[in-house]
Amino acid sequence: MESITAYTVSVIITLVILFIAAIIANLIKFEGGSKPKDPKIRKLWFWILCLVNPVLIFLLGFFVFMPDGNVRVVKNYIAALSIGTVAGFFLYILLGFILSRLFTNGKLGHWF
Amino acid sequence: MDKLFVIAVGGTGMRCLEAFTHLCAIGMFDSKEIELLTLDTDQANGNKGRVEKLIQLYNRIKSGGTPNANTFFSSKLNLYRFYTNYSGQGRENYKNISKLNSGSTEQQKRNQLISDLFLDNESVQEFDLSHGYRAQTHLGSMLMYHGIIEAARNIVRGTDVKVQERELDEFVTKLELAGQDARVFIFGSIFGGTGASSIPIIPKALQDFIRIRSKGAASIDFSKAKFGSTLLTEYFTFKKPNDKQKASKENSVIADASYFPLNSQAALQFYQSDPTVQRCYKMLYHIGWPVESKPVDTGSSQTVTGGATQENTSHITELLAACAAYDFFTRTNGLDVDKTEYVYKAVDFNNNAFSFSIHDFVGNGNKAGERFANKIGAFFSLAHISLTVNNAANGDAGIKGFITRCQEQKITQYNTITDAECVEINDYFKAFAYTFESARFTPGWLYQVRSTVAPGTFIFDSKAFPDSLSELKKLDVGTIFLDEKNHWPKGGILANRYDTFIKKLINLGPEEEQQVNTTKEKFLAHIYNAITHSQGFHLI
Repeated sequence: MESITAYTVSVIITLVILFIAAIIANLIKFEGGSKPKDPKIRKLWFWILCLVNPVLIFLLGFFVFMPDGNVRVVKNYIAALSIGTVAGFFLYILLGFILSRLFTNGKLGHWF
Repeated sequence: MDKLFVIAVGGTGMRCLEAFTHLCAIGMFDSKEIELLTLDTDQANGNKGRVEKLIQLYNRIKSGGTPNANTFFSSKLNLYRFYTNYSGQGRENYKNISKLNSGSTEQQKRNQLISDLFLDNESVQEFDLSHGYRAQTHLGSMLMYHGIIEAARNIVRGTDVKVQERELDEFVTKLELAGQDARVFIFGSIFGGTGASSIPIIPKALQDFIRIRSKGAASIDFSKAKFGSTLLTEYFTFKKPNDKQKASKENSVIADASYFPLNSQAALQFYQSDPTVQRCYKMLYHIGWPVESKPVDTGSSQTVTGGATQENTSHITELLAACAAYDFFTRTNGLDVDKTEYVYKAVDFNNNAFSFSIHDFVGNGNKAGERFANKIGAFFSLAHISLTVNNAANGDAGIKGFITRCQEQKITQYNTITDAECVEINDYFKAFAYTFESARFTPGWLYQVRSTVAPGTFIFDSKAFPDSLSELKKLDVGTIFLDEKNHWPKGGILANRYDTFIKKLINLGPEEEQQVNTTKEKFLAHIYNAITHSQGFHLI
């Protein structure tokens, strides 16, 4: 049960962070000029949030969603949370890549 | 479909052709192939050189392309150049070219008497012809006709045919092949020298050229051929020549701008009463500048008679002359007349300035005014994006920046457009709008045209014409029109106009009905679609 909570937290936070990354990408305006910087800025924000994502998953999972229970329950939760954190990291990249390919000509296309 | 021919004569004719070329670049002559002939006595004339360079640049941008629709550079231009040769020995002035001193003594005497009857012996018969006819239209008409006929005779003879004569031959061949489908528009002034001399005689000279070349087998039927021209009266002035400058024989005659109004009146009377003019021309567009003319030679101490230094700035009347050609080429009625029709219109004049609206250039039937504003606005916006936003005016990437943007957006079909091709497009925009030369601002054609109207209104907001780096940096390219409804959409609180324009660029592309074939044509059509969608003109 506690594993499901940890994985759910990971997925939800990953999706929220990805959503935020998409909003930021769209808020960054297309620049004129011969060497526009906006693609690099979008990419930078994507990877910053990619690093923020596992940290946030772990911290929120640890301090906010930690279940009350015996040591075994907590241990199982921490183990699941750790796996969820790593999975969240890769899930973010995977979903980001898929979105980038889906909207390849748009602003999200700059992520990859 | 009628075949289109343009003949530009003299310095003013060249500047009208320059305006016409810009109309072609903005896409006013969709799906047309236009034959252009420059006709001058002054091979080295600065205005002639400028327009020929511009057309050559246009053709390099268009290289390998075909006529298209609803895009920039949509027509195909073929340039031919003819000039009467007054540079060789025995061709410098009237006396030499007409061989007054040849033949028997009696013949020489008669030749001299008849020449003296029409042409002043001391001045008109002896001035240097290489800088044009210097407002001596009676002499000019005879010599221009002679120049064209001489070319026909040389071609028939087949020996020592000059390059310019071959080019005239090619142009006339196309005109002859077009037959009654030919529409010929002639640009030139009626107040100066070369243009004023040539407009009355060109149709007849071309008819005789064809007749001589074909040894009487072919001709032009003026009842079917469609000739049109401008009656362009004085709109600029220049320094009065002083006695010192007029002291030499070759400069004994110099056009005096103070006589331009008188010349114009005399020419108008002549055109009205001359049966040849009335029979040859279907339409004459009366264009003038009924307020004080501005001087064009403020930097020169002497009167510029011609040559490379005669490179006058552009004026809105030349754009109106080009718009007259547009009217002549696109009108579907009124050309089956036996006698010349005169066309004219007036423009609002308030507070000592003209106010031009979008409907004052090509009329307002079938939303022609909106179409014109849409196209010139799109081209001007693109010029600003290239020169101002992408900084080509100061040597930066310009239009190449668009290809970079497309690459960033994974639109890779334009990657084959080379840097050199981008430089050519940038150069065209510099000629059209502005550039910086050695850090000094140099106005291009549209800036010059607009300056002749200021402080009156001219399609675009005055803020669209900044001339300093700091002002240019502040320019929002989506707000160039006077009418706010044609500004590009803002796209929400956190977006800006350029951002929404690029989104449109990403979502659009060239369309099949634009008939674009080469990569460059597709690229230009793509940008055209994005800008015109952003401007939001309702054209249907």
